[in-house]
Amino acid sequence: MNYWIQLKTVMLWEYHRFFKIKNELIGIVIMLVFFVIGFFGSSYAFKASQDKSPIFVANDVDGELIELLSENFDVTISDYQEQETFIAELPERKSGLLLTQEGATFEVHSWRNSGRIKELQRYLDEYRSRQAMQEIDLPRESLQYVLKPANVNEVYYFTAGSRERRIMAIFFSGMMVMAVFISFAYQFTAITGEKQLRITEQIVSAIRPQVWMDGKILGITLTGFSSILIYTIISILGGIIYFQITGSPLSSVLAYLHVPSILLFLSFTVVGVLLWNSVLAAIASIITDPNNSVKSSLMILPSLFVGASFLLLLNPDNHVAVFLSWFPLFSASAMPMRFVVTDVAWWEILGSFILLALAFYYIRKLAARIFHVSILINGNEPTWKDVFRMLKESK
Amino acid sequence: MTKQEILQVEGLRKRFKDIDAVNNISFSVAEGDVFAFLGPNGAGKTTTIRILMDIIHADEGTISWNLKGQGNGFPLASRLGYLPEERGLYLDLPVINSLIYLAGIRGMQKPKAKAAAMHWLEKLELADRANEKLQALSKGNQQKIQFIASILHEPEFVILDEPFSGFDPINQEKFIEFIKAINCNGTTVLLSAHQMALVERVANKVFLINDGCELYNGSLPDIYNRFGDRMVLDLAFEDHAPVNRISEIEEVEHVEAVDEKQIKVTFMPGTKMEFILKKLSGFQGITEFSTQKYTLHDIFLNLVKNHRS
Repeated sequence: MNYWIQLKTVMLWEYHRFFKIKNELIGIVIMLVFFVIGFFGSSYAFKASQDKSPIFVANDVDGELIELLSENFDVTISDYQEQETFIAELPERKSGLLLTQEGATFEVHSWRNSGRIKELQRYLDEYRSRQAMQEIDLPRESLQYVLKPANVNEVYYFTAGSRERRIMAIFFSGMMVMAVFISFAYQFTAITGEKQLRITEQIVSAIRPQVWMDGKILGITLTGFSSILIYTIISILGGIIYFQITGSPLSSVLAYLHVPSILLFLSFTVVGVLLWNSVLAAIASIITDPNNSVKSSLMILPSLFVGASFLLLLNPDNHVAVFLSWFPLFSASAMPMRFVVTDVAWWEILGSFILLALAFYYIRKLAARIFHVSILINGNEPTWKDVFRMLKESK
Repeated sequence: MTKQEILQVEGLRKRFKDIDAVNNISFSVAEGDVFAFLGPNGAGKTTTIRILMDIIHADEGTISWNLKGQGNGFPLASRLGYLPEERGLYLDLPVINSLIYLAGIRGMQKPKAKAAAMHWLEKLELADRANEKLQALSKGNQQKIQFIASILHEPEFVILDEPFSGFDPINQEKFIEFIKAINCNGTTVLLSAHQMALVERVANKVFLINDGCELYNGSLPDIYNRFGDRMVLDLAFEDHAPVNRISEIEEVEHVEAVDEKQIKVTFMPGTKMEFILKKLSGFQGITEFSTQKYTLHDIFLNLVKNHRS
């Protein structure tokens, strides 16, 4: 039985074992329920924040300021007695503001610091500006003229990195992180779980560890991408429905669909996920109990590497950025990022991709070897030192 | 007619840290054999089997396979069956799915695998549970599924590591018949076990191993000829059995106390019954007296004892 037939058998087995369309749909329904609750909840909260906040203002405050505050606050003018009562009741009511004025100095009483204080500060600043302008007899137009920004004509020589392409690059990086995280959970069940159930010996007596490992990596990667595909389709449909409802042209969606960029991003993302799944498979191979293993914490590694590549958006042309876009653990997300924000030569893209593919090729081999040497370990989990020793001995 | 040897093992050694798990053993299995690999726990049986299955590698020695139409290399998965000592299957999946998958990775087409799985499930009275998850089955039934998985693809050579463990006596009997049946259908069997009474009913060749070393390698009739010509007596006494006095008889090889009144006495090879009766006439209070054949179990214990001493 040749490699490809066995690979297909293992791959499809893992895929059908973990990808359940019913579970995916249940997940989507739950997500939609949370989305609807979140949408209406935030709408309500936003609406509530639009209401004018109550503010008690001492009766000796300047009338011009009171008029100004009325634009955004529900102003109640209060005498000294009422001010005392407000302060006394503040620990109970925990809301509301009290503003008093002593010459040019204001005093604000509030239960705690909040966004409303900052808002109030803006009105007080505006009031103070007006007062100052009146004092030096400066017309408003003159002040605006003084503060006017310089006229600058911006001429860019790299114009390909549109906002849409940036969003696409970020979308694909996000997709990669999601696919890796989805795969990771399955990877543990598929490899560590199989070791715990003691199925491995049965399987590897029939197939070579490399076939087993490749089948698992491909099957689980396929599972991760199938989930992502479903979410992507639903997101696109949701986007189209949104644009229809809001009356925006459909071309707003189509602007994102730049086929060459998508092909580039997709290629890097697919090989990147395969590479990460190989790394995770190697780690899972030496874990005997995922609940108690410190090595389980290594699952955050992919997000650190992908997260680091976002730094490229700040300065895509320095040496660190160039290194990240070539180094395989970063390049799957870093090269597409660089591609959208600066000018990258075709040979750089090709070279980085070849390096990424080679890294995947060798790490999957290493994962199979680690699996092979640690296959019968069910007791104490081997340390990294043990693994290196066993790998050396297995030569 | 001499049968063709399909597995030859020469000078196999495997060391774990400072322990010789397998120490220079050699044996061969011929086509159609039921070859029993016997030894106590930790004797090196499973290590040897894992080496044969290419799961771990030997430090020294050679293994030559000679299945029909194939070179000396490790056989194709479709031609080998394996029941590991460490049992395990997918507990959360339907029985039939696991069986089809395991036959699939050994090269069997899905429809054929399904038909064969149903055939064996019927034979083991589990057909109505084919679509149940494995975890719903009892331990004994899970063992049966594991056995089916090892022979479903009709291998030419099957290795069964401790096939009788976990079974009650009734199922052990059934499994002896299953092993005989697959052997009659042309499958060569190598099994490891420590239930000697079961093994001597099914095997034609035995290999006794202790502490990684070979104690005996040959046919079952030959082991009786070489080590089994001893008289064994079961004796019961009215009062305490005189163990020490009986041990002092020069021709007595071994005395085993069954309880305080009963003993089992093994005599040296060639000791005549006439002599034994004469010696026993000097003992008072014998209430029961029976002879028995020296079993594989007795031979094994004797060889292990001698090896350790």
